Amino acid sequence: MRCYPPPEQWVTRAQVWLGTLVEIALPQDEATEASFAAGFAAIAHVHRRMSAHDPASDLARIARSAHRQAVIVDRDTMAVLQLARDLSQATQGRFDVTVPRRHGPGRRRPARRGGMSALQLERGRLVRTDRPLALDLSGIAKGHAVDRAVDALRRAGGSAGLVNAGGDLRVFGAGAWLPVRLRVPQAPSLALRCFDIRDAAVASSADYFRDGRPALFDPCHGRTRTFRDSVSVVAPTCALADALTKVVALMPARCAPLLARFGAHAFRLVANGRDARTTCHASTQYLRLAAEAAA
Amino acid sequence: MHSAWRTFTLAAGMAVPAAYATEYMSIEAAQRIAFPEATTFTPVLLALDADARARLAAVARPPGAREPRVWRAMAGNRLLGTFYADAVIGKQEYIVFGLALDASGRVLRLDVLDYRETHGWEIRNERWRAQFAGKTAADPVDVGRDIANISGATLSCRHVTDGVRRLLALHALLPAT
Repeated sequence: MRCYPPPEQWVTRAQVWLGTLVEIALPQDEATEASFAAGFAAIAHVHRRMSAHDPASDLARIARSAHRQAVIVDRDTMAVLQLARDLSQATQGRFDVTVPRRHGPGRRRPARRGGMSALQLERGRLVRTDRPLALDLSGIAKGHAVDRAVDALRRAGGSAGLVNAGGDLRVFGAGAWLPVRLRVPQAPSLALRCFDIRDAAVASSADYFRDGRPALFDPCHGRTRTFRDSVSVVAPTCALADALTKVVALMPARCAPLLARFGAHAFRLVANGRDARTTCHASTQYLRLAAEAAA
Repeated sequence: MHSAWRTFTLAAGMAVPAAYATEYMSIEAAQRIAFPEATTFTPVLLALDADARARLAAVARPPGAREPRVWRAMAGNRLLGTFYADAVIGKQEYIVFGLALDASGRVLRLDVLDYRETHGWEIRNERWRAQFAGKTAADPVDVGRDIANISGATLSCRHVTDGVRRLLALHALLPAT
């Protein structure tokens, strides 16, 4: 997913974090090096704490020792885990950040059901697990990083800005509508404008860059799910948008009450190249349907 | 519950290209970052014979590989290392990357200089690139063996990995100074 370029008088910088290109755009009169640095520092912090590959990250420490003694984690890690737990409870376990444990190596049996119940979050940013438990926050941490960058830009005095982490993006304070394009699932080098956002976040999930290996894991059935459409969610925060794309993809018929609870809306581009479906029936103050924008 | 969803039809003609093309760093800037104490970068003219080409092709054949450009990084008369600028095809278009080796032939750093694709910025990830540090031609540089594959950018990683493997083999063929 790409958005249209921000207004021309904005200045855009890009760095690589979270395995993707992270762009920060600021109005020209506020585009100071200090502001960009504050935004990117927030992204880098989330990257270091929540990388599944870095042995010094909170995730690695939880996997190594949280089943023996409680691990103190970063404030950001705790916030992401709390949101993940809330979403897990609200979806009867469909949203699950635990890595499934197989029954013995090489066996083609289904993985164990989700392990969120083995995860205990306690006061004082303490994380404890009932058994050795690996976590994968790739479905939510990128959105959280975008939110933290927006917070940092605001703290640095910014009145408006855009943070885009490889398509998980959030815009704040601009006052104007930001048109958003979604990649066409069966032709991802093409994109379509479907809606505009204002003071809101968008994230998308799809399999089209996965070379036939599904990205979506269904914890209730213990296997990956092939997914030809694309799902995008517009929400007040990018962490919510990021996480809710997985919920919508796994339970499209039952996601509407949850989306409503979080003030979110979903878009689903059908892989036939013609149809799109949305839970948004009318434009809101932060989401404007492209058809209405054109009218 | 399907009534929660509303279907609308997309105007097919409204689809626009989502491609992305960015130059991140010039070769000169990447050289200076890799070898900050270098005083000169001396170009090395490659003169590969058929035998050398065959040996390289046996090591790796990344799509789109051409003859790399090579420089010796010098601090006065002292050899600091070797800098390669090479390109491979990612999904459809060229990825230009710079590979810096120290004087003993170990990888100092790998920077993507120019990327023209719709997807695959993941290969600029520091941690992924850091895995190349200390590799020599004797190591099996291959996706799935000692280089982590990056979800969502499989093709790009594999091709840059092949490109690095080929350059390490080429380095072993170059004269020592």
